[in-house]
Amino acid sequence: MRALVAAAIGLAPVLLFVLLVSLVELPPDGPTSPKPLLTADPGPKK
Amino acid sequence: MRRPASLVLLALAVFCAAMAPFLRWYAFPRLAKIPPNQYQETVLEARPATLLNYSTLQAEKVEKITIIQTLKGNVEESRRIERDAGRDVVVWDALAYVTGPDGKMVSQVPERYIFDAHTQAPVHATGETVDGDPVRREGIEFKFPFLTEKRDYQYFDAQTRTAAPIHYKGTRTFRGMEVYYFEQTIPWTKVAMPKAMPVKGITPKVLADSGLTRWYTTKRMFWIEPVTGAPVNGEEIHKEELRNAKALMGRDTLTVFEGHVKMREDYLQSVGELVSANRLSVLMLVSYGPWSLTFLALVLLALSLWLEARSRRAAPAAPAAPVTPPV
Repeated sequence: MRALVAAAIGLAPVLLFVLLVSLVELPPDGPTSPKPLLTADPGPKK
Repeated sequence: MRRPASLVLLALAVFCAAMAPFLRWYAFPRLAKIPPNQYQETVLEARPATLLNYSTLQAEKVEKITIIQTLKGNVEESRRIERDAGRDVVVWDALAYVTGPDGKMVSQVPERYIFDAHTQAPVHATGETVDGDPVRREGIEFKFPFLTEKRDYQYFDAQTRTAAPIHYKGTRTFRGMEVYYFEQTIPWTKVAMPKAMPVKGITPKVLADSGLTRWYTTKRMFWIEPVTGAPVNGEEIHKEELRNAKALMGRDTLTVFEGHVKMREDYLQSVGELVSANRLSVLMLVSYGPWSLTFLALVLLALSLWLEARSRRAAPAAPAAPVTPPV
């Protein structure tokens, strides 16, 4: 019986993660880059 | 189970054992996604190349042609489309800007590519275009999906506005990295005139009215890092012709552009570094994390059982201590 309780305690945080990942919907992060679409060679990449 | 220590170890073992498949099959498909605000430029060159000189109407060998390709994530459009689509969406505004050896524009192809941030499946929404024309993409473009498989994919060709198979041709090593090599050949196909022409006064309508038609063929090659699906190298053997040109230019066929386009060395290096960094993040979710947790679960379980067995072996010895003295 104690072993079952221990296993349940181990499973609980995993179920919490499952809930967290399925319920939390993050909006698209960050703004659109202000850099333009290039119409000239930007030169050597650093 | 009697000892608290073995019970704690058992709980931890169960936690690790459950977290391993959770990471690989539940968290990874939901958490691994292409960021919607990505900005990436790539410079490709064809050295030498053949280019049509519009003033002499002759195809000329030139030292190089440069293709500047920019991908810019449009976050506002992503948000707008996500509201209707109900899933994570990425909108890439792309521009392939081709310049001659003098730096002047030869052609440009602007595009809007809309796709699922996790699977890279195309998402159809208003604004999906190539050179201003609405399109309905099938297949992938620019990048392959996470955990690319050893199989053929449908790859969208912006010139023909259609998807065609891109074939898996084997596993290669590119700069120390194991990559999948893909190849797509687009046979000679009649394509639309570009909206922006390199010479003032010549418009797509003028060319179309004169009866000229534009034809194109290409062999597209990609070296794909399979974990991230990102290309670490790309090449294209590209040919473009104007046909039905006899009345206007004295010859039926005129080469507009011909060249073997390759990524420039500095971009090969920077893309390689970017892909290596992203690869590690994805591997944490699909491989390193799950395998480490599985190993840890086994060790913890073994330790827990061992502690338990030891406590049970020691337990029967205790009541044997008080021995009744002989009478």
